[in-house]
Amino acid sequence: MKRLFLFCVFCVAVVARAQTEKVDLLLIAADDALLQPLVQQLGQSKSETHAAWTFWRGTLAGKSVLLARSEGDPLNAVAATTLAIRLHAPRLILSYGSARAHDPALKAGDIVVSESFAAFDGLFSPPSSLGQGIHPLQWQQLPHLLMTAGEKETPAMTFPADAPALSVALALTSPHGRVLRGVLGSANQVNREADRVAWLHTMWHTSTEDGESAHIAGCAALLGVPVLGVRVVDGTAADAADFARRFVEAWR
Amino acid sequence: MRRSFFLLLALASVLRAAEPVDVLVQGAEKLEVRELIAGLGPEARKVTIGPFSFWIGHIGPHRVAVSLTGQALINCTTATVIGIEEFHPTLIVNEGTSGAQAPYLTLHDIIVGQRALDYGNFISPVTAAGQGSSPMAWTPVAQRLRDPVSGQLVPYPEGFAGDPAALAVALRSRNPMGRVFAGVIGSAHEVNLELDRVRWSARNFGMDVEEMESGHVAAVARAYGIRYIAFRVVSDAPYEGVPFNASAARATGLFTLNFLENLPPLAMPMPARTP
Repeated sequence: MKRLFLFCVFCVAVVARAQTEKVDLLLIAADDALLQPLVQQLGQSKSETHAAWTFWRGTLAGKSVLLARSEGDPLNAVAATTLAIRLHAPRLILSYGSARAHDPALKAGDIVVSESFAAFDGLFSPPSSLGQGIHPLQWQQLPHLLMTAGEKETPAMTFPADAPALSVALALTSPHGRVLRGVLGSANQVNREADRVAWLHTMWHTSTEDGESAHIAGCAALLGVPVLGVRVVDGTAADAADFARRFVEAWR
Repeated sequence: MRRSFFLLLALASVLRAAEPVDVLVQGAEKLEVRELIAGLGPEARKVTIGPFSFWIGHIGPHRVAVSLTGQALINCTTATVIGIEEFHPTLIVNEGTSGAQAPYLTLHDIIVGQRALDYGNFISPVTAAGQGSSPMAWTPVAQRLRDPVSGQLVPYPEGFAGDPAALAVALRSRNPMGRVFAGVIGSAHEVNLELDRVRWSARNFGMDVEEMESGHVAAVARAYGIRYIAFRVVSDAPYEGVPFNASAARATGLFTLNFLENLPPLAMPMPARTP
């Protein structure tokens, strides 16, 4: 009896630290326009707020899902992703939304699915004296040093996407364009200088830019959770949410 | 049996609110937390959550968790959320190294953060191919946080103020390797060594030093309503041509130890999670 009791205590301890109420999928998007079409389709919907971050939990296409609002910037996105992983241990994270093209071959309505992610906000500028100006097209990339086991920081220029989920997404169609694999780039930046966009595309091999996808992927990599991103080029919220819903239906 | 069930339930709730601490002290690099881990004393123990390590013990009158966050936004935001959820601190101290953005600063000087902000966000104007890139024409974008009461996204263009009581104690604490000033700390995943851009950042954001974490940690602390202060030692000074000097991390570690010894006992921790 005493042994059984101690075993129960151990189990409770593990569950308590890992948290309960697991979900199949975390669906994370920048704003209510992207989220509400899916929130309205949730079965057994519940919302929960932790500090500044709100989540909606329920069922969608037979899967348990958690919807999270990233606010479209890296800090809120990483905080919300960390909380979601800690509280609900998703099997997969899907970051969805719209994006601006870095790759000139992309057209409005194309959907880019993450082959990988690049958080392109890292920069290192060569030293120069006062009066010598600023030369942003000569800046160098600064990798992200992700914490890894053993208190080691591992440099990464890109973060991986989940290959099985990528295959599922690539099998879907887009109503207004193509579905392509690519590199989803993110930073809390809106780049509209053509020369800088070209420079970013050359340096980071980014297909698109948005406010958070690669940072979510970095957080997922830290905590060992598979992740996929989809971005509709210059797309509407309705198109992105529709693609996310169809992905949830197809994903096993 | 029924009594055992309720005992288990009670135990689960205790474990869920594991190990509250008075102060969560964060450093991005091992050299930045080395003096603090040593200062926790022989009873210190280590907790590992994912890739993040925390060392728990006592410094002065405080129960302290020392956190090795790793560099920059992704690492430090993740580590901070985990640290808050796990240890429910009353105060967060984020300390480490930085690059001077003002010519009055030199190696081993310490800036205590009157405020900390994210300076790396912007919207650029529309320009055509061949017109180049002009960072001085970019419009900064403030970090925003959603107010759970009003439901509104609130921008923080000035960043996040350091806790006034902690700031006052810090300014009375000794830096054994240099001077101590109150100032503004800017965070981004950037190392800026072009002095024209350094001067532009200092003038536009009021920044005294640049680094990669404190503005982000400050935002998370604000979201949770947790007191916050940041310390940054100058480890490189581009105006003087001083390259990065990792040993400066020792100064910030020793200074933080002195700060914790001087800091009066804190009130009981507030619940970290909102309902």
